[in-house]
Amino acid sequence: MATNDSCTSHPDTPQPGFLSRYVFSTNHKTIGLNYLWLALFSVFLGLAMSLLMRIHLVWPGAHLPFLPSLGNSPDRFAALTTLHGSLMVFLVLTAAPQAGFGNYFLPLQIGAREVAFPTLNLLAFWATVASFVGLTGAFLISPQSGITLWIVSVAIFCAASLFNALNFSVTTIDLRAKGMSLPRMPITVWAWFLNAILGMLIFSILLAACAYLLSDRLLSAHFFPSLNFIANQPASVVAKAVPVLWQRLFWFFAQAEVYVAVLPCFGLTTHLVSTFSRKPVWKERLVVLALCGVGLFGFCVWGQHMFSSGMNPFSPLVFSLLASSLGLPAAILLLSWLGTLWNARIQLNTAMLFALGFISLFLSGGLSGIFLARHDLAAASVSDDFVTGHFHLVMGVAATFAILGALFFWFPKLFGRRLNEPLGKLHFWITFAGVYCVFMPMHWLGLIAHSRVSPDSPLPSVAAAGSSMRTFITVAILLTVFAQGLFLINFLWSLIRGEKAEESNPWRATTLEWSVPSPPPLDDFGLSDPVVYRGAYEFSVLDVAEDFLPQHLAPEQSAKARESGE
Amino acid sequence: MPGTTAVPDIELVVEDIGGGGGGPTAPSGGSGDGDDGNKRRRPGGPPSPNRYYTGIALGIVSILMFFMALASAFLVRRGTSGDWIPVHLPAVLWLNTLALIASSFTLERARRSLSRLNLSGFRKLWTITTALGALFLIGQLVAWRQLVAQGVFMASNPASSFFYIFTAAHGLHLLGGVGALLYVLVRKFDKASIALPTAAEIASYYWHFMDGLWIFLLALLYLGK
Repeated sequence: MATNDSCTSHPDTPQPGFLSRYVFSTNHKTIGLNYLWLALFSVFLGLAMSLLMRIHLVWPGAHLPFLPSLGNSPDRFAALTTLHGSLMVFLVLTAAPQAGFGNYFLPLQIGAREVAFPTLNLLAFWATVASFVGLTGAFLISPQSGITLWIVSVAIFCAASLFNALNFSVTTIDLRAKGMSLPRMPITVWAWFLNAILGMLIFSILLAACAYLLSDRLLSAHFFPSLNFIANQPASVVAKAVPVLWQRLFWFFAQAEVYVAVLPCFGLTTHLVSTFSRKPVWKERLVVLALCGVGLFGFCVWGQHMFSSGMNPFSPLVFSLLASSLGLPAAILLLSWLGTLWNARIQLNTAMLFALGFISLFLSGGLSGIFLARHDLAAASVSDDFVTGHFHLVMGVAATFAILGALFFWFPKLFGRRLNEPLGKLHFWITFAGVYCVFMPMHWLGLIAHSRVSPDSPLPSVAAAGSSMRTFITVAILLTVFAQGLFLINFLWSLIRGEKAEESNPWRATTLEWSVPSPPPLDDFGLSDPVVYRGAYEFSVLDVAEDFLPQHLAPEQSAKARESGE
Repeated sequence: MPGTTAVPDIELVVEDIGGGGGGPTAPSGGSGDGDDGNKRRRPGGPPSPNRYYTGIALGIVSILMFFMALASAFLVRRGTSGDWIPVHLPAVLWLNTLALIASSFTLERARRSLSRLNLSGFRKLWTITTALGALFLIGQLVAWRQLVAQGVFMASNPASSFFYIFTAAHGLHLLGGVGALLYVLVRKFDKASIALPTAAEIASYYWHFMDGLWIFLLALLYLGK
């Protein structure tokens, strides 16, 4: 089916150099991989920072190699938290599942050879790199100019995401292969597509907010009155007002970001669960509707902030709405995953384990979200350990699990080699246990702090347990972070020496990217354009030689395969 | 758009003859093939020009969201502040607006000449459109100068801050529009992957949108002062 003579088809073109092959290449696969490398670098940088923070929390006197040179003041610690958050949220959770895997696999899965606007795509990637440099640089320079640089970097990231979103949505609408109708699109493509549309709407709002903020800071405009208010107040008032202001800005981004980060992960998980259960996605149409629902609610809640309460995101009603509106689509997705897993011959390889881990983390993180939807409780424990535990579990760690699952799944396609399975499973189990040990006690800590708020029940014994619990968390996080070393070793080793993936379709998956050699040739599909004949999840088909029907297999060929199978 | 579910199988088994994914609007001449062939072989020809239409439509929605966010902040901020001193809009703004509206008309006239294959008429009208756009931008700068002369700066009060950021954001977007008009004027389209009528149409959508957007912003600034 696939042709692999793409390298020999034009011998007159000279072999391109390093720069044009990796740095200035407009090829969607190169750009997607570059995003993944950037995310990999950021995730380890972010992990190192969380390690520093936890060590500092438990052993404040401990001499750390890197921190004193930056000044040992509390605002440095706050800056560390900010940098950890912005790196993880923007460059890992937003960029990796959407821009990374999306750029590589969205065109492959819909049978396009390129994204709609390749040059714009390249521009978006380098803008993302610039924002990465800016975000990191903001930590190293003086706080005042650091904040400005940080906002500029976020604005650049917004612009890059807008370009990326435009590319993805136009590619999905216009560049699908023959026969790839909307109902036949893989759920991953649906998720990327819906996320792109959502991103296109909300990132421009974030960009506008950044423009206002920057004018306030640089041109002393009067958009956010509180900024000027703080500037004219004595220091004692500032100390009380700054956290409020900070939370305000934080929620500006976080509100939209949660959906943008988690939507592609829903798609990835659904895809993996179906492939490794060898069953079609249960209620596929409903899943697509649920994904649309997530996008719609994500936008409407944001829109409510913008249009009804204007620039003030501090309406408790909206917080409650946000939490409960995600409930219905999330429940549908969960039901579909369980329905797909029901009575299935599940293949428990590392990719599937990570997908199941995502479901577990999403469920437990989501359950604690119900408590937060009660705004009286949320008001008491905002910026508390409970919230930290909740959103790390549901957003950060869960999304990371989906990304890792996708990486284990697509690694053979990306590099033509396989990741080591036993090492991968070991990495999974340590990480899985580790994140629960880190973030579940954090919920407890939040509740303890909450119980101390009420004066009639001081609970000294429980409060005393808090400090030992903090130590436990820190030890757990040390172990979890070092377990990521296993992953890094596995990744680098497999990249060079890993077991070669001989066949182009090692997982016996159905979508188009598995119809081409691994790694795919420069022009993806060789000489003939792919044609799609059926839906994306034709597993457990009865009378064929194997239990699945790839999307690109013509009915005649499948009939032939059926005869030879009998 | 390849959206049909019931594709006749026989047709599909036949080796792809090209035009796969092609939309109803075919570019004039297959000149795009040669250019793209340098980079890689495209058996189906270049991807459908539909992507430009979809792209501009989605891009307009996205830009609209940006300006809606700006505008909603304007309304909210105006309602909640006690330090609001209305900006007296300079008279030159009305002239600018006239120039911009006129440019939309000349743009449509230009495209009509193009559809009648009157290339010289097209070029003349298109140049006039571009000049009117540039005139608008210069006029906006003049308006800024006049306000500065009156002592109204960005930092003066919330109303002036909003005036400057609205005009600046719109001006930047319109500058992009002028760039697009120049691109259509200057570019040799026999080697491009986009045909001249397509490029002109895309540029015209963006231009009219910028035109309408300016009228909206002006109304907001005028009525909301």
